[in-house]
Amino acid sequence: LSGSATYLYAVARTPVPSLPLDLRGVSEAPVRFVSEGDLTCVVSTVDLDEFGEEPLGRNLEDLDWLARVAREHDAVVHEMARSMTIVPLRLATVYTDDASALRRVGELRATALATLDVLEGREEWGVKMYAVPQAPATVGAAAPRPVSGVEYLRRRRAELDQRSGDAVAAANDADAVFEQLRQISVIARQHRPQDPALSGVTHPMVLNAAFLVDRTRSPEFCSEVDAVASQRPEGAVVLTGPWPPYSFATLDEP
Amino acid sequence: MSVDLHSGQRASLVDLLDRVLATGVVVSGDVTISLAGVDLITVRLRALISTVREDME
Repeated sequence: LSGSATYLYAVARTPVPSLPLDLRGVSEAPVRFVSEGDLTCVVSTVDLDEFGEEPLGRNLEDLDWLARVAREHDAVVHEMARSMTIVPLRLATVYTDDASALRRVGELRATALATLDVLEGREEWGVKMYAVPQAPATVGAAAPRPVSGVEYLRRRRAELDQRSGDAVAAANDADAVFEQLRQISVIARQHRPQDPALSGVTHPMVLNAAFLVDRTRSPEFCSEVDAVASQRPEGAVVLTGPWPPYSFATLDEP
Repeated sequence: MSVDLHSGQRASLVDLLDRVLATGVVVSGDVTISLAGVDLITVRLRALISTVREDME
């Protein structure tokens, strides 16, 4: 089975500003607007050989393919978010044709418009926190070799106690930072901690949060994150963004 | 397939995947795989990358 289909990136309120010249989407296809009434869909045409259900299932398990398409998708969403308020869609939302994309979005019209109102004038920031050890462990570091098995076990117990205490302290610290930053945001939410096998970061992740912030308050938000980071070990706090409002674009299905 | 991303690139890719796969509007496409299928992706990727890493070690 081959043919083409419609890939939906985002939904915006009509009228929309003119498209940047020669904007390309996934697999280099030109990005288009299709509108019906007060909603406009940002779309491009994709090949069913690549995005049909069966090939897509296979492609999504190919990290190189996934990385490329995620970046192409993100480039379109970023570009759109620069000039207008949008509700971004999940990666690889594909319809048989423009009409069926418009029909589905039309069914969600009320929630789409309400979400656009919430997202207007706001952007997303990401804050990740890791449990980075304060300094080389003090317990047993410079201590002489244990003289007995009992002494060895006592030191080992102390080390383990410190480590589990550190984990609890790191979790509490992450909660406190989340609360502190939430005050400056409109909505805050937490993603699942990232898997070290995927991210390549070995320190345990204790916070993977996203904050929807008024653009006018973004400088304040960023300097608050800087302040938090400066009071903690190098690499314990990581700020990412600004992002299009990916984490806050959840429309409930009617 | 090759996994040759630098750790920084890989970290930013994972940040992006958190957003474009795990969240975002969940509107069912009439062509795309079901939501359950999408949720499986990260699980499969994790398995894939652990395998690649073990091979490298």
